[in-house]
Amino acid sequence: MSTPDAPLVEVEGATRRFGSFTAVDNVSMRVERGEIVGLLGANGAGKTTLIKMVLGLIAPTGGTLRLFGREPSRQTRRQLGYVAQGLGLYADLTVRENLAFVAEAFGRPRPSELPGPLRGTEDRLVGEIGWGLQRQLAFVAALGHGPKLLVLDEPTSGVDPLARARLWDTVHEQADSGTGVLVTTHYMQEAQQCDRLVLMSRGRQVAAGTEKDIIGPTTAVEVRTDAWARAFDALIDAGLPATLAGRHVRVADTALPRVGEALERAGLRAEVRQVPATLEERMTSIDRAA
Amino acid sequence: MSGEWGAYGVTVRFGRTTALDDVTLEVPAGQVTALVGGDGAGKTTLLRTLVGVVPPDSGTISVPALRDIGFMPTASGVWRDLSVDENVDFVAAAYGLRGAELRGRRAELLEAAGLAGVGDRLAGQLSGGMRQKLAFSLAMLHRPTLLVLDEPSTGVDPVSRVDLWRLIARAAADGAAVAMATTYLDEAERAAAVLVLDEGRTLAYGPPEKVTAQAPGTVTVSVAREAARLQGAADRDSRLAGGEANHGGVSVAREAARLQGAADRDSRLAGGEANHGSPTTAAPVDRGYSWRRGHEFHTWHPGPPGPGERPLEPDMEDAVIAAALADRAARAGGGARTGEDREDIADAGPTGRDPNSDNGAVRAEAAGSEGRNA
Amino acid sequence: MRAMIFKEFRELRRDRRTVAMLIVLPLVLLVGFGYAANFNVSHLKTDVVGPQAQKVAAALHQPFDVEKVAPGQGAPQARERLRDDKADVVVVTGSGKGGAGTVAYIDGSNLFAAQKATGALAGAGGQVEAKVLFNPDLKTSWIMVPALIGLILTFIGTIITSIGMVRERQSGTLEQLAVMPFKPSDVIIGKIAPYFLLAALDMIVVTVLGTLLFGVPFQGNAGVFAVGGALFLFVVLGVGVLISTVSQTQGQAIQLAMMTVMPQIIFSGMFFPLASMAAGVRWIGYLLPLTYFNMISQGIMLRGASAASLWLPLLLLTAMAVVVFSAAVLRFRRDLAPSRPSTGRATAAPPQAAEAGAR
Repeated sequence: MSTPDAPLVEVEGATRRFGSFTAVDNVSMRVERGEIVGLLGANGAGKTTLIKMVLGLIAPTGGTLRLFGREPSRQTRRQLGYVAQGLGLYADLTVRENLAFVAEAFGRPRPSELPGPLRGTEDRLVGEIGWGLQRQLAFVAALGHGPKLLVLDEPTSGVDPLARARLWDTVHEQADSGTGVLVTTHYMQEAQQCDRLVLMSRGRQVAAGTEKDIIGPTTAVEVRTDAWARAFDALIDAGLPATLAGRHVRVADTALPRVGEALERAGLRAEVRQVPATLEERMTSIDRAA
Repeated sequence: MSGEWGAYGVTVRFGRTTALDDVTLEVPAGQVTALVGGDGAGKTTLLRTLVGVVPPDSGTISVPALRDIGFMPTASGVWRDLSVDENVDFVAAAYGLRGAELRGRRAELLEAAGLAGVGDRLAGQLSGGMRQKLAFSLAMLHRPTLLVLDEPSTGVDPVSRVDLWRLIARAAADGAAVAMATTYLDEAERAAAVLVLDEGRTLAYGPPEKVTAQAPGTVTVSVAREAARLQGAADRDSRLAGGEANHGGVSVAREAARLQGAADRDSRLAGGEANHGSPTTAAPVDRGYSWRRGHEFHTWHPGPPGPGERPLEPDMEDAVIAAALADRAARAGGGARTGEDREDIADAGPTGRDPNSDNGAVRAEAAGSEGRNA
Repeated sequence: MRAMIFKEFRELRRDRRTVAMLIVLPLVLLVGFGYAANFNVSHLKTDVVGPQAQKVAAALHQPFDVEKVAPGQGAPQARERLRDDKADVVVVTGSGKGGAGTVAYIDGSNLFAAQKATGALAGAGGQVEAKVLFNPDLKTSWIMVPALIGLILTFIGTIITSIGMVRERQSGTLEQLAVMPFKPSDVIIGKIAPYFLLAALDMIVVTVLGTLLFGVPFQGNAGVFAVGGALFLFVVLGVGVLISTVSQTQGQAIQLAMMTVMPQIIFSGMFFPLASMAAGVRWIGYLLPLTYFNMISQGIMLRGASAASLWLPLLLLTAMAVVVFSAAVLRFRRDLAPSRPSTGRATAAPPQAAEAGAR
């Protein structure tokens, strides 16, 4: 059964209960070809359970989940590449041995040449090559069989900025050539690399769309003052959700006058203005409301 | 001593590897100083020299007495088999805190960390975010004047991270000198000063605005911007109409989003309005020196902008990547690209893909199709 | 310092495994050695055969428990009885006057019983000639080597297997395997077979070395020995896999594995004869697979026992292997394949398929 036009991932009202606990509650989402979809949420939001359902590790207790237009099966796994948070590499095997194992598992020839920074590490134990290189190796292993869908769980944690940019180059390249990418992340910078975002909170999908769609018209208040520490304390003491941004203070989810009042009451003079909210601020307020 | 704690010209060697190479980090009171870098960059080593666990081979360390330092190690440093209250009790006992002082401090810190109701819960049963907030509270319990935090936000969800950052900011606002390591630049951007480490060496150091302003070389952005301006709206319309046809393996919606994103970024281009009407920028020539930001390509080259080139005002991420590339180029011997530092990991092994899936080719095609549609 | 001590106790209280180690292990050792460690055999299963069987049987007293008297039988049957472990001692009475020519055949593979028997006979004035079969010099090493084979297999099977399995889980590679196009059976067999082969190889090496270095005989059928060894391996590997499914770290796996290996050493009869254990703890021995493997290995190597005479230990090992190994495979499988709590999912699919087709 070949369904070339079906979405790579199509989740419709998927629910997963563990006993009385509902980890994923009526979530619907899809990943199309060539699309990078970011999955964001607080801990316990249900991201991991949803990812495991997509991977076929957990079956939903309700709703449907289809991969490439079909029920998840051993066949769908052949078209799936997965980089786990823990990378899932064998630390006691060499780089070459790890790749050979994966290649054989997928019935593929062994990769003949490794990309740049991994070159020369072929015969070193994976446990000895450092976290950044291990990440890159995990990507090579996950891409070796030309998957149609790439699932990435916190793909760049612990990686330096340049290496992170390189990994995202790879992700974009995959997407450009038609691969769908589903990626979980805790970091807004990475969320900005995605085409679409799905926000989860307590098992539910609370927002979806582009970064712009999600932020919408929401704003935050920026407070510029020489005495940021005093302003910060005054705003916190007034019960406002102030955060520090460099030497400025930002207050999310709060009307401009309230911030002004709080500062005035503390006898502080500051430049206060309304600015577009950040994705993080928006996400936090959506999560708090849910 | 004054409030100017820090590490000055510190070098640390472990056997033959140099973990820190002449690194200077000032940790002034009343502000947050961030250390950025990947695993193995030397962040932890530098923090450990500050708390006195690792003696430097050379250089000087200026820190308060040990009992005035609060330290939060990478692995969070809470005792998982103890309850929240018992964790506090233990650390309090270690610092000789008791009676009313302890009661007050406990209430204040757990309240601020959102842990007030869960004193009986085992630390091991807390969520990652709550556990980090507990670890932070433990490090803060004895009112240290120097607070050393090793990747406090790693593995913490975005919502808890906002809380954690608020706690850290509060500590700085109350006068503590805070040094914190992070692998993420968006966090570093909010600190008063940033030290970017790579393989034990300093890539950049200073307030975020200085780091971005002093980024080496020139960063340019290349994407079909003019086409984007014209095309974006049309594509979005077609998407709304349900015409989400695939186009050469890349959905039109994606293209639209890509181009729209590029258009949004225009305001960051130096020169602003003057750019209107200029032709499409070419695809990046040199992949080794370019990187993706969503749907844009950012490219770096050493030296000032060339004739007719419009440099981008780099943000923190661009600046750090530029610094890393400049550093690499300098070490490779004068900026000439060797080919070895191409870090293209997609071309590993048989991917069974169209060989044209090289960036330039795809981009050219995309740009061409946009031209037609327009 | 007080804070440190206080904290440590609080933590220990919560670490159930360590508490179990701290409490259960001393108890096992105490009870084990207190009740099980008894070299003194007080009862010897004794047959009396030959012309004057009735008379001699009547004259025998402690420690000889006469269980069978058969005047019609002779030395060949006596040997058979001992080989099949039906008796510890068979007295073959002579036809001579006053019982002259009477020989007591003693099973040397049952070391402590044999020592008791030779001692008792010598004390009785030496009218009866004692002939120790299967281990004529009453060498401890001859008894220990067959038992050690079982012990070594227990160590390798349980500890090494559980560590290997937990490592796969701990490093997150088990999840990776689960999303690769492997059948669960591929992974389970691929994961367990190497340990099975290694343990089997170990068994051969230890057996060969044992016979060469200590001169321990191998009297019986190697095929039956191999079958017994294979069954036993399934049990210990199964235990190893089960331990790995309830352990998060390699340390925990080692802790648990130690807790299963320790009682086997004490209660399996390898050091202390089962027959002389207090009845209150002897049943523990009968629950342990090593007990039965010891019966098989000693029987085959030293006495050349037949498969027919070993039917009971073989059957019990088979039952244990089926139960333990199936449980292990099922638990392991649960980690690899999705549980399917709802079966009605397929019926909800068609509308989606239609929608997808229309796109």
